Amino acid sequence: MPLIEMKKISKIYDNGVVANDHVNFSVNKGEIHALVGENGAGKSTLMKILFGIEKPTEGQIIIDGQEKEFNSSHDAIAAKIGMVHQNFMLIPSFTVAENVVLGSEPMKNGLIDKNKALNVTKELSKQFGLFVFPNAVVDAINVGMKQRVEILKMLYRKAEILIMDEPTAVLTPQETQDLFKAIRTLVHQGKTVIFITHKLREVKEISDRVTVMRLGKVIGTVDTKDVTREQIANMMVGREVFLDIKKPQIKRGEQRLTVKDLTYVDETGRPVLRGVNFNLYAGEVLGIAGVEGNGQTELVEIMTGLRPAAGGEIIVNDKDLCNKDPRTIRMMRIAHIPEDRLTNGVAVNSSIEENLIVDRYFKQPIKKGISLDYKTIDQMTDNLIDRFSIKTPNGKLPVSSLSGGNMQKVVVARELSSEPYVLIASQPTRGIDVGATEFIREQLVVNRTEGTAVLLVSADLSEVMSLSDRIITLFEGEVTGVFPDASSVSEEELGTYMLGVKSQTYAEMEEYL
Amino acid sequence: MRELFRKKAFREFLRVLLALGIGLGLGFVVTIFVSKDPIGNYRAFLLGPVSQLNRIGDWLEESTTLIFLGLAVAIVFTAKQFYIGVEGQMILGAFVAGTIVLYAPFPPLLRVIAAFIGAALMGMIWGVIPAVVKAYLNASELVSSLMMNTIALRLFDYLVSTYLQQPKVAGIMSELFPKEVRLPSFIPNLPFLADIRMLWERQTSVSVMIYVAIGAVIVVYWLLYKTPFGYELRMVGSNSKFARYGGINVKRIIVLSITISGIFAGLAGVHVALAITHRIVQNMSAGLGFEGVNIAILSFNNPAIVPFASLLYGYLRAGADVMERMGDVSRELVMIVQAAVLLLITAERLLPVVQQRVTTDEEEEGQVVHEKGVKHVA
Repeated sequence: MPLIEMKKISKIYDNGVVANDHVNFSVNKGEIHALVGENGAGKSTLMKILFGIEKPTEGQIIIDGQEKEFNSSHDAIAAKIGMVHQNFMLIPSFTVAENVVLGSEPMKNGLIDKNKALNVTKELSKQFGLFVFPNAVVDAINVGMKQRVEILKMLYRKAEILIMDEPTAVLTPQETQDLFKAIRTLVHQGKTVIFITHKLREVKEISDRVTVMRLGKVIGTVDTKDVTREQIANMMVGREVFLDIKKPQIKRGEQRLTVKDLTYVDETGRPVLRGVNFNLYAGEVLGIAGVEGNGQTELVEIMTGLRPAAGGEIIVNDKDLCNKDPRTIRMMRIAHIPEDRLTNGVAVNSSIEENLIVDRYFKQPIKKGISLDYKTIDQMTDNLIDRFSIKTPNGKLPVSSLSGGNMQKVVVARELSSEPYVLIASQPTRGIDVGATEFIREQLVVNRTEGTAVLLVSADLSEVMSLSDRIITLFEGEVTGVFPDASSVSEEELGTYMLGVKSQTYAEMEEYL
Repeated sequence: MRELFRKKAFREFLRVLLALGIGLGLGFVVTIFVSKDPIGNYRAFLLGPVSQLNRIGDWLEESTTLIFLGLAVAIVFTAKQFYIGVEGQMILGAFVAGTIVLYAPFPPLLRVIAAFIGAALMGMIWGVIPAVVKAYLNASELVSSLMMNTIALRLFDYLVSTYLQQPKVAGIMSELFPKEVRLPSFIPNLPFLADIRMLWERQTSVSVMIYVAIGAVIVVYWLLYKTPFGYELRMVGSNSKFARYGGINVKRIIVLSITISGIFAGLAGVHVALAITHRIVQNMSAGLGFEGVNIAILSFNNPAIVPFASLLYGYLRAGADVMERMGDVSRELVMIVQAAVLLLITAERLLPVVQQRVTTDEEEEGQVVHEKGVKHVA
């Protein structure tokens, strides 16, 4: 009998997003169970349900043969489930021992028994091979140790089942090996570990069984030793019906943008982009396929002036736009649909019309003399609301009154109506309804057919495949493959390049980049 | 009536009125506890400012200063800069204006004009340091502007006591300004108005500055809502990341918002010096700079509401003066009223019944939906 059984779990959020769709998931006692899938596949939601943070819309959770209902993580902890989050939930100014016992402190005479806390921490640390400095202030210890503190916290609460949400994302290779060793020790002592990841190498290395999720559904659960990395990749990426998009024959024009040897190193010194090269041509959609977190976000932000690059060039019309400010880049008619519309794309508390003029308020005809011409603004706003079918009574309302899809239409309306020379679209349809998705995709194709050079970055592989004329894959900050004809490549093949299983050499790619 | 309720402006007005009512009620409750004659004291507080001409004058003068200060703070708050250095800018503005009218070797009219320009420039310059460290080093403008206030006040005291001090007087103050550089009465010097003008001039210091204040309101309103600069300012305040993404130079706007705000703080200083005290004197700002923050909050940072908020606030302050002078209740009571009013106004959830939200979901297209689900209107 499995230790954990989740039966027909569905989770539908208030905004209609289906995160889990009748998911069945089971874990045996004493195993290391990997849960894999692309971002947005629903694995985190499933684990949040198991840990009591989210309530399922329907379905059953059975732990050790008993049906449970979790109203909060306290209930889950009571059922001996512990979760180590991606973002550590530690108090930086407390010591390791204080953090371990936080919430159920050992007491003596009405005060916290610090000695006991220290001893408990030392014991647990020894028992499970999780090395920490019990007296160190959390602020001063490294990431690997913080993670071990998180695990100790859960063990202190008598957790038998440990959920780890992408624990290796923040670790160096050496720390990852240490973590794996610790996980094996835990399992030897009878604990059960659920390990969320999208790194296939780790799945093969550490797990006994693996469950693959895609688009909110479980694709299958297999014994890890029976499958190859390629097979797991295929399950993750899968085949699916493309949305039907009518795309006229490509008429590729002149070269409009060149990215040369672009590099970026993040605050922690990790190289995020390691020399990215590609060209972008008029009249084409160039898709960038890749699992999220492989440098796409940084690439787009550098190209649009929102983030400084470490090195390299971005050439448009013989001008290097690398490390120029957003205004200079926009003046070259480079439009940008940002991946996070609520952060960059709109000012939610400002009106729709104010959101539509941010790239042109200083230009004719909106600026007339030294003031803004509201008559022109009103006309333009009404026109765009109409043309992009933004559902709103009028343009004076704040953007916050719109649904996600209509907010994104405001962004798209602004960026496309600037008649861009180059359009950089990042996750243009993420988290919006089907109608708006279809509309925005159509608009991208229309612009491409009219001659705009379009760069499309999307975590939705079917979107990249159905919209792009040409595709490059990005893995760990490097271009691992280029596919000059997007229609002749299979998802499986792309998947192997996206996950770094295969890669082309620069010499092979050069001609098509 | 329901139509009226749907108008946002009306609902906000109602909210202010309600807040004021609750605040005053609370003040009365406290008065009952502290005063032997609560009703008499409260009457003095509520009706005092309009009971005599000189008191009306006090009220209008203070309100005029408050308008400039409220505008100054409204500008920085619009850009979401929590800058509260208006006090320092104002007092240094007053100092510069005073020194110019006292010592500049120009004819009187030119001296007054130079005083306006000098004070405005002073206000701007004093804002540069906190503005630049905020924009380029991300140092909290709240902290730096507070520190600049202290520096300004001490610098003012030092300069006045060292260079302008009148011999044989008790307080730290300069000599009186000559008559010809004091700001004239707000009533035009016309034959048929001569009597009224004389009456007002004798009992009050209400000057032409009141017209300058109204002009400033119009200018700031135009600047914030009708110009590209105002748009930039509002977008930086609304979502600075969006502003940056759209190509707005956010750092430049932060610096400009604080320095331009300084102009109006400087003008407040001109008003206090040239129309009210008629000399440079210690404590001439009387802590009014911080009241500018309250005015801005009361007016939702909208320049068009600033004069009304200033009149209301000035009235409460003037009433407090009267009550303190005539009765046994100290002016701190008014602070309770003020604090209660501000708190209630800033509490977004007050009057939730009349709050409404417009949603535009597919199935409800074109319909206005009350948040409480009371009514659907096509």
